Amino acid sequence: MRWMAFMGRTGTVLLMIGLALVFVSLIPPHSPSRGSSRGSIAPQQYSITDSRVYTPQTGFRVSVESSDSVQVFFLGLRQPEYDNWRTQLADVYFDSPQMRDFYTVPLVFLMEAYPDLDDIRLIDIMDIMFDVAVLDKGLETHSEVIVWESPPSTAVSHEFFPTEVLHVTVIVANRSPDTVELETERVDSKMLAPKERLVLPARLLISAGIALTIVWLVWKRAKKRAR
Amino acid sequence: MRRSRPFLEVFACAVKEDHRFPILEVFALVFTFGVFAILDLEAYAWNGEVFAYRLVSSLWGFPLSIIFVILILKNIAYGLGSDLDKGVIQTLFSYPLTRRSILRAKLLSAVGVVLLLVVGIQVFALLLLVPDVITAHSSVVFLTYAANLCSPALLLAGLVLLLTLLLKRGGLPLVFGVVSCLAFAIISPLVTSIASATGSDLAMRIWAVIDPNLALQSYYLGTAGLPYAARTWVPSFAEVILHLVAGFLIVAVIFIVAYRYFERRLGI
Repeated sequence: MRWMAFMGRTGTVLLMIGLALVFVSLIPPHSPSRGSSRGSIAPQQYSITDSRVYTPQTGFRVSVESSDSVQVFFLGLRQPEYDNWRTQLADVYFDSPQMRDFYTVPLVFLMEAYPDLDDIRLIDIMDIMFDVAVLDKGLETHSEVIVWESPPSTAVSHEFFPTEVLHVTVIVANRSPDTVELETERVDSKMLAPKERLVLPARLLISAGIALTIVWLVWKRAKKRAR
Repeated sequence: MRRSRPFLEVFACAVKEDHRFPILEVFALVFTFGVFAILDLEAYAWNGEVFAYRLVSSLWGFPLSIIFVILILKNIAYGLGSDLDKGVIQTLFSYPLTRRSILRAKLLSAVGVVLLLVVGIQVFALLLLVPDVITAHSSVVFLTYAANLCSPALLLAGLVLLLTLLLKRGGLPLVFGVVSCLAFAIISPLVTSIASATGSDLAMRIWAVIDPNLALQSYYLGTAGLPYAARTWVPSFAEVILHLVAGFLIVAVIFIVAYRYFERRLGI
């Protein structure tokens, strides 16, 4: 009956792995960084408040308070798509690569809205690049990149943890005819693993582990009695 | 009696000796927690293949790989060594099993169980966190695992096995294994530094036969143009495969010699 002992040890190991997942899920997310800024957005313009890579372990909360209604968009690009967009820009955009990386999404939207533009430099194109009409056209063409959008509001707050590795760009759009004053706060969050992904495997492993261990223990007891 | 029954009997005895309750359980708990604590997706978020390579490689860095290798070495040197030293092996020889099968059962317990647990937990964690990256670049994941397992884990396991059989005790082979494991951690970066200082890739090419992960690392990090990647030697993919095959051939030869010695020259 060696296989019973195997089964029991397999059960205890599965139980321990399940418990480790529970411990991992119990560790609360911490905030490695936060930042806030005040500014304004001209009528019919939009601005970018954040643009970088987030993973299932890293997320953020963005809170925007404004003097008039604004709309907030989280646009997410997978790494191959993001690399593809950066490659497209490399031929026509001549500022620093860091600037190009940060403004990848608006620059691609601009290129698609104005295909004749060449030798782009940020200073020359600021007004048209951040035009809400360019944003709308870009979002219409690439609706798949919208991972979250808020309804028009003067106070928006949303926490976001991507389900996969994404390059996320946070956009605030002012569709009103007046300049909007706004205060933005971004709080980063970091955790070992998303809780919702750990719960089911942990439950399954603990259940299977307990079941196998109980069978083993009962068998051991019965064997002792038989002696 | 069926042939598989005595094999299972020897295997079960070996598992019981190598992985006494609750050592394996505590190891599983700590290792699972360690994998999640070490995995930092943000730090490695680069393009697809390099991301997959760096992610898997990060799990084979200090301290997880050292714990894994030392556990394997302890099982071989201490487990098999004490069996040889105390004469338990003679009892095992009375089983209706070939010597080769007895050694296979001992190695399956010493290396196979730990390997299954370690790779299982790592792949499980990766599939939980980045299933898309792992499935899209499964060949990169496989190659990285193969390179990291080949050396130092399996190479040192083979050498320690051979030494244990030759000396018929486990103390000295275990010390040799642990020291070699630490030496491996020092030699790889040292070889890269020598190569960059001298401008010659010869040292890297030679060491990559023993440690194919160096070739894989130079290939992925070098082609991605990462600033800290070795510039001296960026091998082609065919060269990487060649080094990996050569590495596994060395490991295979060491194990074959150990098997042969156990079968024919052990003197018990």
